[in-house]
Amino acid sequence: MAILSLKNVHKSFGNTQIIRGVSLDIEQGEKHAIIGPNGAGKSTLYHLISGLYRVTSGTIELRQQPIHNRAPYEISRLGLARSFQVTNIFPRLNVFENVRCALLWSHGFRYSFWHLLGRQGELNDSAMHVLDQIGLKDKARYPAGELAYAQQRALELGIAIASGAEVIMLDEPVAGMSHSEAENAVQLIRRITEGKTLVMVEHDMNIVFDVADRITVLVYGEVIASDVPAAIRGNPKVQEAYLGEVATSA
Amino acid sequence: MTLLKKMSVWVAYLAVLLLLPQLFDSILAISVFNQMAIAIVFALSYNMLLGQGGMLSFGHAVYFGMGGFLAVHALLMLETETVHFSIIWIPLIGGLFGLLAAIFIGSFSTRKAGTVFAMISLGIGELIAASSLIFVDFFGGEAGISGDRTYGPTFFGIDFAQNVEVYYLAAGWVFISTVFMYLFTQTPAGRMANAVRDNPVRAEFIGYSARHVRFISFCASGLFAGIAGGLFALNYEFITEENLNAATSGRVLLMAYIGGLGYFIGPIIGAVLLTLMNSLLSNYTELWMLYLGILFLLTVMFLPRGFAGFIMMHQLAWVRGKLRDLVVPYLMTGIPALTFMLSLIALIELVHAEAESLHIYGLTLDPSLEGTWIVLVVIAAAALYGTRRSLPQLRAAWHSANHIPDEER
Amino acid sequence: MLDVLIFATLNGVVTGLLLFMLAAGLTLIFSMMGVLNFAHASFYMLGAYCAYSISLYFGFWVGLLVAPLIVGVLGALIERYGLRRVHQSGHVAELVFTFGLAFLIEESVQFFWGRDTKNYQSPDILDFALFTLFGQEFSAYRGFMIAISVGIFIGLYFVLTRTRIGIIIQAAITHPKTVANLGHNVPLIFMGVFGAGTALAGLAGVIAGPVLTTFPGMAVVLGSIVFVIVVIGGLGSLAGAFIASLLIGLLQSYAIASDVGMQDLLNVFGIDFPYDHPLADLWGLTLPQIAPILPFLLLILVLIFRPTGLLGKREE
Repeated sequence: MAILSLKNVHKSFGNTQIIRGVSLDIEQGEKHAIIGPNGAGKSTLYHLISGLYRVTSGTIELRQQPIHNRAPYEISRLGLARSFQVTNIFPRLNVFENVRCALLWSHGFRYSFWHLLGRQGELNDSAMHVLDQIGLKDKARYPAGELAYAQQRALELGIAIASGAEVIMLDEPVAGMSHSEAENAVQLIRRITEGKTLVMVEHDMNIVFDVADRITVLVYGEVIASDVPAAIRGNPKVQEAYLGEVATSA
Repeated sequence: MTLLKKMSVWVAYLAVLLLLPQLFDSILAISVFNQMAIAIVFALSYNMLLGQGGMLSFGHAVYFGMGGFLAVHALLMLETETVHFSIIWIPLIGGLFGLLAAIFIGSFSTRKAGTVFAMISLGIGELIAASSLIFVDFFGGEAGISGDRTYGPTFFGIDFAQNVEVYYLAAGWVFISTVFMYLFTQTPAGRMANAVRDNPVRAEFIGYSARHVRFISFCASGLFAGIAGGLFALNYEFITEENLNAATSGRVLLMAYIGGLGYFIGPIIGAVLLTLMNSLLSNYTELWMLYLGILFLLTVMFLPRGFAGFIMMHQLAWVRGKLRDLVVPYLMTGIPALTFMLSLIALIELVHAEAESLHIYGLTLDPSLEGTWIVLVVIAAAALYGTRRSLPQLRAAWHSANHIPDEER
Repeated sequence: MLDVLIFATLNGVVTGLLLFMLAAGLTLIFSMMGVLNFAHASFYMLGAYCAYSISLYFGFWVGLLVAPLIVGVLGALIERYGLRRVHQSGHVAELVFTFGLAFLIEESVQFFWGRDTKNYQSPDILDFALFTLFGQEFSAYRGFMIAISVGIFIGLYFVLTRTRIGIIIQAAITHPKTVANLGHNVPLIFMGVFGAGTALAGLAGVIAGPVLTTFPGMAVVLGSIVFVIVVIGGLGSLAGAFIASLLIGLLQSYAIASDVGMQDLLNVFGIDFPYDHPLADLWGLTLPQIAPILPFLLLILVLIFRPTGLLGKREE
């Protein structure tokens, strides 16, 4: 049963069609990568699924529930979390608060102004656990805006996974990292998404083929292939549109 | 911080509030303390908006004034014996009405932060201030409305005829309000207000509607502004349109900003400082508003986090035991800077004095003598030069006191 | 009835054009720098006061030429040494800075010129009736105000559409980052635009001073209205500011000139009300009474239902 399902999704800005009828099913527990050349519409697709943009037409369902055109916070509450390509944290809060805020809703605190955060042992323990997972435990009291880049990316991941969402969407999680940093980040992603559904946009093909169970290739707002890595590697259409250039340059 | 340490801060705060009238018991002092009490609650409530929630409001006096007007109406109802309760509850009535106004206005104004919110707050502020002159029955026109706080049942025999009695009542409300406003920052709603201030888009992706979060802060802020308005009504026993117009809104912005946004204690510092300036400085000079304007602009330019921020800047140096290294450079820059400021003030006052001789710093200056002007200008220029000369040393000392060498990281 | 309508229209146009002179500078500054200059009307006040002082020695016409220059230079200096410093702390800090500036300028004006109203007069040459209609005179000075405003509008249009600097400014309105990347000296342009904008405000003050009286509160009176205009017109849209200026000018002028009230409205529906009703203030409202609040009502409605304003594209 597909946990996330897109049916004939279109998105245009003015007269420009960015997404031209994408249909896609992502199974529960799957590690799914979306690849495609620059300008293929990957980020737009993410924004549509996570609720930042409204779809022009088509439907998006999360566990058979329509989520298109709903507010990002509603979608998040239904169990879909995402990270951003450009680091998107709460710069003036410290690292611990960043993660704790991301945990609040799933721990049922809603908009409470009658619970004192200092007394919520379970909540604070979970926040520390997440910090431990992303390797920022010793930076807990640092203002998030003052972390090094790779640490901010790790925190970005931490915020995305904190809520314990079923579906985690990562947008170029290792962009701008050095080789060793990226390797660590991939380890981290594997660890924290165990047993969950992962959707990932990534340009580094080694990582994509290493991590993904299935790969979808998006070109000019259309899905030209969606299959297991081996099949994608052998698909002539994909090679022509995308992998060809990588293969020759690598 | 341990619980004990935290509690001791609060106990000290309460002790200061209660002991102030024992230390200074003149009529002027009590009146100043009453103003401070009102200003502290008002400025703290403003900080909930701008400092904690990132909402720049140019119309916060609306909730203060609305609370105050309803409080005076409550006093009038006590007088006519329409209702019967002790006046110690008047601030709460003001607060509830402030909350009501905030629920109504916040329901549409908190959709966006930033410029849009600032403009809506400005528009509503002007709208209400202008309306208050039209609806004479409720607002009393330009003269405002007045009441008498001595009606209603006494509170353990106290009838609140004396200002000092009102001070203790106000101190109680200030303490309670401060505690609750502090506790609010420690709740999920209060913390999410910070998160939304920092990054409203991201907040939506962790399950929170930025608008709802802002709305809750906005309402809480309206509640406490209304309490401050109620305290105002109790202290002065009247309220006018001036208490909800743009000038009052501007003053609370000044207080919170100069004190330091984002730090819980900042607005308290700002409220105390500005009240002192207002009531003490205005005895010495007609120009205190001019100095206030200059102080404010200098704060925005050089201390964007206000006085509290300036104090907090020394935290690291203090923790590392390097504060002592800063004393000499501070004096080296501070003394000429202070001299420059004082001579500049003397010059400004001299211009203002026109033909009359000026009494300042225990001296008598005669503006008709050219020598007076020349000496003052020379002193000012020399002091400015001295300040600028010593500034690099201060920067260097500051850097070495606050810079953590890599091996210590 | 017709005479009232015509004169209300003429007065509305005069006010509207005057407002536009302020709104144009404010819009230009906002478009370029993203700063809503809270102190804009304060520069307008400075213009009036400077021109008044100059006119005492050299007459009105010298003041007309020199005062806007003084104000413009002052504005440029404030941008260079004040605003630019605050810029790094973000838009809220900038808005707060200009708010403090407005406060300081008002206090400074009282320091230098005192609290009383200044007897700033329009020049004698323009002290005649341009035309008389239905027995009411329309003064030549008002005609002169219209001429200056329209002249400025045409000049501004020409500069923005036909000159190199104008095209850079226009480009910066829609694509501020690109313009910087193209290697234009953006800080210098900022300073220039701020100076020009404040000079325009100063000019408005020079010509409005004799009509609207020169006193320390004149900035407050107009300040928030100009804010309302640029928001209603759409932040960053010059055409929008023009339409909104005229709209507000006419709206206020008609509202003051009319004598209808709630009572008339209720009478239409045949509703009668007691005079001692607690809400009598509400029933007794007349249009001239609520004229001062109409712009703010409009502002709030626009911000709720169309946050981008009439012709605006950018929301923040």
